[in-house]
Amino acid sequence: MSSTTQPIARGSHFNRILVIAGHAFTQLVRMKVFYFLAVFAVIAIASNFFDLPQHEGPESIGMNVLRSIKSWSLGTMTLFSVVLSIVATALLLPKDVEDRTLYTILAKPVPRIDYLAGKLLGVLILVFVSLAMMDVLMTVVLQIRSSMILTQQVAMAQSQGWPQDAIESLRAETAQHGPNWALQGAVFAVFLRASIMASLALLISTFSTSTLFTTIISFLIYFIGHFQADARDAYLQAGQAGEGVFARMAALVFSLVLPDFQNFNVIDAVIEGQAMPLMVLVKLSLIGLYYAVFFTIASWFVFAEKEF
Amino acid sequence: MAEPTPAVEIKGLVKDFKTSFRRQMLRAVDDVSIRIMPGEVYGLIGPNGSGKSTTMKALLGLVAPTSGNCAIFGKDSLKVDSRNDVGFLPENPYFYKHLSGAETLRFYGKLCGLKGKRLDDRVSELLALVDLENARDRRLGGYSKGMLQRIGLAQAMIQEPRLVILDEPTAGVDPVGSRQIRDLILKLRERGITVFLCSHLLEQVQEVCDHVGIIFRGKMVKEGRLDDLIAIEDQTEIIIKDASPELISQITALVGNSATASLVRTGKPRTTLERLFLRETTQGKDS
Repeated sequence: MSSTTQPIARGSHFNRILVIAGHAFTQLVRMKVFYFLAVFAVIAIASNFFDLPQHEGPESIGMNVLRSIKSWSLGTMTLFSVVLSIVATALLLPKDVEDRTLYTILAKPVPRIDYLAGKLLGVLILVFVSLAMMDVLMTVVLQIRSSMILTQQVAMAQSQGWPQDAIESLRAETAQHGPNWALQGAVFAVFLRASIMASLALLISTFSTSTLFTTIISFLIYFIGHFQADARDAYLQAGQAGEGVFARMAALVFSLVLPDFQNFNVIDAVIEGQAMPLMVLVKLSLIGLYYAVFFTIASWFVFAEKEF
Repeated sequence: MAEPTPAVEIKGLVKDFKTSFRRQMLRAVDDVSIRIMPGEVYGLIGPNGSGKSTTMKALLGLVAPTSGNCAIFGKDSLKVDSRNDVGFLPENPYFYKHLSGAETLRFYGKLCGLKGKRLDDRVSELLALVDLENARDRRLGGYSKGMLQRIGLAQAMIQEPRLVILDEPTAGVDPVGSRQIRDLILKLRERGITVFLCSHLLEQVQEVCDHVGIIFRGKMVKEGRLDDLIAIEDQTEIIIKDASPELISQITALVGNSATASLVRTGKPRTTLERLFLRETTQGKDS
């Protein structure tokens, strides 16, 4: 039938995962998800004009504007990346089952783990590309605005006869609020948090019966993740309840299974102009990797036994 | 000479499903055994809900048997390797609407390890086989039901499998599309590809299959060669063209004189409504 009679070599796991990831990415792109970038552009530009409560001197006004741009931009990135990672992941699996396209894929020599990993990777590529584009936009806006502010502030300081070291100090402080590596680290942290949520949504969608259920439960866990560390500490310090070995083990298991998103509060520190040490970024990367792998393997255990 | 490995071997397949409240087990397939040799076209027929699709899914590893086992060319169906040699077209598939016909075939081809020129050639070859060359760059969202079934058949064939499993391949397709799919199945048979199809359209199964199994309420109630199953052993059919009334009278008298034979029926053979429809619609298209 075919022009060639050579047997077809089965591709590697990696190749199949890439094929499925590439397809999932294309599928989501063709759902026109990148339209939200226009919304982000509007927010990034509008954040230049938001008035924040002002208690400091006139030299701080510029820094507050830069802080506002970072705050609004990173906040919007968080919102978009978390919503995108949860909704896109929650949508892909049930849609394939409903349309029976899953049958045609699993009827090929495709192990189920390849299918799951491919879908997850496709969503992560989409989130990464989206964040990268938003990051570029934010950096450009921040760069233009910080050089404008720097020029204005230096002129103001010189007209008021500030000493040179004070001017240099003001210049350094303003630069801290401009685009820098800490800010890129914060954007990467936003990506890591979205990756955890995508892999969690993948796990839920393997046993969930609907996209809505997966989405609601994922958001619920996302919110729990923001105060689970406080709840755990309060429990362990609440008299006898937290003294037993069982209670401590339960708290440990709880933290291993449910992500603690307070680790990502460093993003807020970057908005305030603080640096992000490399070790913090490494720690966040390891946390992200741990949860992504843990949830994906758990998804595989459920999905491997699933019948269609 | 040793007997070749069966393309499909299902032994004592039983599949139970839990009902919604998990109190009762529903037996969808009850001790079904099927053996299909390479090159055969096997039709599994039965009413809706009789266990046809479940049997096929068990063969593809999409459901795990409660007991019994299934093998494709000697490989256990639950192992991924068994899927190297099989192509599957599910009932009413939708595929990815955002992909074109060629992109769809490329996607499935890459999943099977095809790449480069070999993949390009295979995609073009299959699009020609299923008569969709003109629609190769059109998105599947704009395909008709018949075109979807044909692209589905092409994706099932992408890695040159030795076995093709078709679940209700003509469900919801108009007679012209149905005829095209049937012709494709016949082409597969000519090329020595084993076909395992299930349908409840009996006339269609009769036209393409050489072996059939009848499944009812999960049990295999009849199985064998189609010719053996449908032949009426004590009757003989003679079809004569341009017979005069005198000749008919003579034959009738001859049979009447026989001590053992009796005339059952005389009359004109009828075409099927489907053939009439195809003839009329094809003429309409040509004019």
